[in-house]
Amino acid sequence: MTLLSATDITVLDGAVRLVAPVSLTLNPGEPLVILGETGSGKSLLAQAIMGTLPASLRATGVVCIGGRSLPAGDRAAFRGLWGRQIAVLPQEPWLSLDPLMRAAPQVAEAHRLVRGLPGGAARDRAARDLQALGLGAASALYPHQLSGGMAQRVAIAAARAGGAPIVIADEPTKGLDAARRDDVAELLLGALARGGGLLVITHDLALARRIGGRLMVLRDGAVLETGATSAVLSAPQAAYTRELIAADPESWSRRVAPSEAGQTVLEARDLTLSRGGQRLVDGLTLELRAGRILGITGPSGCGKSSLGDALLGMLTPERGQITRARGLAPTAFQKLWQDPVAAFPRTRPLGQTLRDVARLHAAPPDRIGGLLDRLRLAPGLLARRPGSVSGGELQRLALLRAMLAKPRFIFADEPTSRLDPITQRDIIGLLADLARSDGLAIALVSHDPVLIERVADVTTCLPMQEGRKSARDAAIRRKDRGMERPAILR
Amino acid sequence: MTAAVLPRALPTGRILVAAILGLVAAFALLGPVLVPGDPFAQSLMKSLAGPEPAAPFGYDHLGRSLWHRLVHALRLSPLIALAAVATAAAAGLVLGVVAALRGGWVERLLVILADALLALPGLLMVLIVLAIMPGTATGFWAGLSLVLWVEFFRLTRATARATLASPAVQAARLLGFGWPYVLRTHLWPEIAPLMLTAAAFGTATAIMGIAALGFVSVGMRAPTPELGLMMVELLPYWREAPMALLTPVLATFALLLGLTLLAGGHRT
Repeated sequence: MTLLSATDITVLDGAVRLVAPVSLTLNPGEPLVILGETGSGKSLLAQAIMGTLPASLRATGVVCIGGRSLPAGDRAAFRGLWGRQIAVLPQEPWLSLDPLMRAAPQVAEAHRLVRGLPGGAARDRAARDLQALGLGAASALYPHQLSGGMAQRVAIAAARAGGAPIVIADEPTKGLDAARRDDVAELLLGALARGGGLLVITHDLALARRIGGRLMVLRDGAVLETGATSAVLSAPQAAYTRELIAADPESWSRRVAPSEAGQTVLEARDLTLSRGGQRLVDGLTLELRAGRILGITGPSGCGKSSLGDALLGMLTPERGQITRARGLAPTAFQKLWQDPVAAFPRTRPLGQTLRDVARLHAAPPDRIGGLLDRLRLAPGLLARRPGSVSGGELQRLALLRAMLAKPRFIFADEPTSRLDPITQRDIIGLLADLARSDGLAIALVSHDPVLIERVADVTTCLPMQEGRKSARDAAIRRKDRGMERPAILR
Repeated sequence: MTAAVLPRALPTGRILVAAILGLVAAFALLGPVLVPGDPFAQSLMKSLAGPEPAAPFGYDHLGRSLWHRLVHALRLSPLIALAAVATAAAAGLVLGVVAALRGGWVERLLVILADALLALPGLLMVLIVLAIMPGTATGFWAGLSLVLWVEFFRLTRATARATLASPAVQAARLLGFGWPYVLRTHLWPEIAPLMLTAAAFGTATAIMGIAALGFVSVGMRAPTPELGLMMVELLPYWREAPMALLTPVLATFALLLGLTLLAGGHRT
């Protein structure tokens, strides 16, 4: 029996077709993974199936759920299915929970209002659901007291309380580190146990591999390839799928380090860092040499960015010493940010920003042009503003801007975590090339240990300090809301 | 991620704003050129008389030309208001940036001061200053500046805090740019549109404040022609000369409408 089948789903924005006719079926016990880059139309397809498309878009096609046939264009018809037939795992669990409600009532509310149980029975069911997810002790906590993983489990308990057999998860691992990613995969597979259906939308190959089942590769709104996940991932047919898999850090070849180590650019001895009264880094010693890449990994909130701020001289260490090589200009230490859009002035054309930097550093007039060629960027981009350039191009422009300052050291803080795998490989490749050709020392931060293992010559893993779990989650939330105030202003 | 498209003010709205404010300004500047006369010259023979070529809007209860009194009033209030807004905007901008940049006790002190002023009714502040300098334009300017800077300070500080903490500013600092460059290229483009809106609203508030105090006879002193003062002088004669009373009322309305639309048009 098929749980859900969608036939010839098309999404249109006026006359522009965003998703070409796509058909899919979802069977009990067999997960379906839709794999694609940002802008491939995978989220639109899922929204069309759920009837949650934005009002400006139009969908055609037919969706069959639970023995009922619904035209995809009729949004109102889907309302009754939400919670009862389809459960959606929210992307940002903290944002989807009521901040003023304890965990158990959030789940009980769904039991009472969606499933229609009386109050007492709903509370019992909620308590049992949380118990089953290992959250028995957390049922009286408020969302801000829960860790990210716990909040996600509460959210899925609430989403599934209506008894929906189909679970849809749109990018469930966005911005999570490797350990949390596996937790989410486990949680999703748990939903299958009772003969339910699971639809996962992701760009994350590791997650797709963990989920298994069947795989559908989407690009520009069209299906390129379908088949069993393990078969597609081990023997891809379409050229794009092959490229996508080749771009996964798992399939990169190890970078060969230059044989002779360059001069020491920066040395940190017995470094201890605190921020906001929290001990982040304790007694760390490291050395950065020209031409070498130092990989820094560790769970979210373990102080990777703070370490960078300290190395760049923007945070004063509590103890320990940071020594820069003699004779280096203060601007020889540069940084790449996770979100390149935020790293440029919003209203200024990019070319103007770059020319300002070139003038400040007395670079010859053809320096920008030469670097554009080297970083494979079109000169036409310079007339645009940061908001209208793709993330990959903008990150390369950020690299270009840093190069104008003739840096000896670049701290790259998760420079590719918001980019697609193919773009990620390009950017990391460029960084590695620059390290070799220009003798740059690079500190590369990533939450992906595989990527670091492939690229870095030396690796530092920052452990989570004792008693910092809740502080870590608070730090993640603070970062999400852009509340952090860097030391440069204090 | 695509930046949200900012809604633009309708062209008709902009034309309306320009027309209203242009008309008021043209009247205030060119009025005495078109019809020469004296706003203070009395002629009791012409008390509440109708319009004539030498006084197109007629006469008030003391036989003074309403045309010339209105011209004078429409120069006085906007001038005080603009001066007060300019002072307040400059002070608010500087103090807001200083608070955001320095942080610590400097910021705390300025915020406490601004909050304390905010807790006082604005007109009361102006009255207190006017008690020191009664009936003078300087008193109004000082009092209104003291009230209006808080708004500019709060807007600037909030925007500057967020902007100065952004990676873009960190990047500029790492690249070796000084604070003047950061303030010019990063901060000013973020603050300027807010400043324009706040300035238009501030001017309207100031003009309204001057008229309100004039109306309750604690603002400018007679015989100075001032919008609120003219209204209260002509109020007892509303039955005999309704148009005479309506003249300053309509002028005030047009001025405030124009400024409010201007503020709305700049909203993004």
